[in-house]
Amino acid sequence: MHSPMEQFEIKRLLDFKIGGLDASFTNSSLWMIIAVILATGVFVMGMRQRALVPGRLQSVAELGYEFIAGMVRDNVGDQGKKYFPFILTLFIFILFANVLGMVPYSFTPTSHIVVTFAMALFVFVGVTLIGLARHGLHFFSLFVPKGVPWVLLLLLVPIEIISYFIRPFSLSIRLFANMLAGHTMLKVFGGFVVMLGLIGGWAPLAFIVVFTGLELLIAFLQAYVFAILTCLYLNDAIHLHH
Amino acid sequence: MRTPVYSALAAGLVSFAVSGTAAAKSGGMPQLDVHSFAPQLVWLVIAFVALYLVMSRLAVPAISDTLAKRQAKIQGDLDAAEKANEDTRALVAAYEKRLADAREESRRLQRQQAEADSTVATARFNELAERLNGRIAEAEKRIAGQRDTVMAGLEQMAGEIAQSAYAKLAGQPADGAALGAKVATAVKGTSR
Repeated sequence: MHSPMEQFEIKRLLDFKIGGLDASFTNSSLWMIIAVILATGVFVMGMRQRALVPGRLQSVAELGYEFIAGMVRDNVGDQGKKYFPFILTLFIFILFANVLGMVPYSFTPTSHIVVTFAMALFVFVGVTLIGLARHGLHFFSLFVPKGVPWVLLLLLVPIEIISYFIRPFSLSIRLFANMLAGHTMLKVFGGFVVMLGLIGGWAPLAFIVVFTGLELLIAFLQAYVFAILTCLYLNDAIHLHH
Repeated sequence: MRTPVYSALAAGLVSFAVSGTAAAKSGGMPQLDVHSFAPQLVWLVIAFVALYLVMSRLAVPAISDTLAKRQAKIQGDLDAAEKANEDTRALVAAYEKRLADAREESRRLQRQQAEADSTVATARFNELAERLNGRIAEAEKRIAGQRDTVMAGLEQMAGEIAQSAYAKLAGQPADGAALGAKVATAVKGTSR
């Protein structure tokens, strides 16, 4: 019986060192690269014909594009156009990593907190810098809710500051924990199937079938949540209102 | 039957707990293995930057270009359809105007014809009436002439009768002129 945590182990496939930095090619790297190659396949190969009446692959590419374009337009507005390629990349990368993680024997790069935290921190720092560059010191008015008596401000401003700095953690842990919990759950119930055998194994097997569908939904949903929260943070930084 | 299921379930849970603690002993969650952080971050940056370049340089321009072209095509088609629609409407309006004009013209002609017809009929009626009147007048003249002739004959005859009657009654011939005047007056009085 394998540990349900074993699926998350990083296995070094090729050892590399750049300077003193360990840049080994691992199973995580492999699946990141596969995600990038597949996404490139959909978005570049699919768009090769640039047909006015799109084929199947082109429809998928356009669907993804319009989905995120609409999200950025609705949540950030016209000033968000500059950041659209980044948010599209973020969504597609997380989506492909999550969904590919559902393939048996694959690896889910987004099930590691260091990966999700790096992305969340990049978003957080980037959004903060955009806010500071746009509004200078006025950016800090984001922490002061409007139309509130000053006594309450003593309480609310620290809360606003804490909730602002908690953003990279909530953003990264949400994605990481969802991936971790889903895959662990599948593995545990897979273990039950083996243990209960032909007699009782059908019940956990049926559960796994249903749960796999739910996991596919979550794989999409978490990519969506990550992208839309990035849009909302960006909107805060650009427009300075809640 | 049921007992082995439950015992297997219990065994599973126990082995899960044991393996969990075993994993914890051998360094805990793989996610917390600090030595794996660097390679993951390096390859995250490589993969993400690669995908970003692909998206921003190739995919986004291609898709936005295609969408803009499609939008332009659809808008152009819609405009053309709108124009064709307007043309059709104008044609229909022109057709209906011509139809109305033609109808109006036909009504006018009909009216004119009817008027002309009635003028002709009146003229013919008048002509007929005139002719009839002429014939009536002619007939009356003829009748008057005949009557005059008859009257002249009557006067002469009355004169002769009066003369012969006078001669028989008086036994002498009558003064022809005086008797003739009296007879003429009497005849005229009766004929009136």
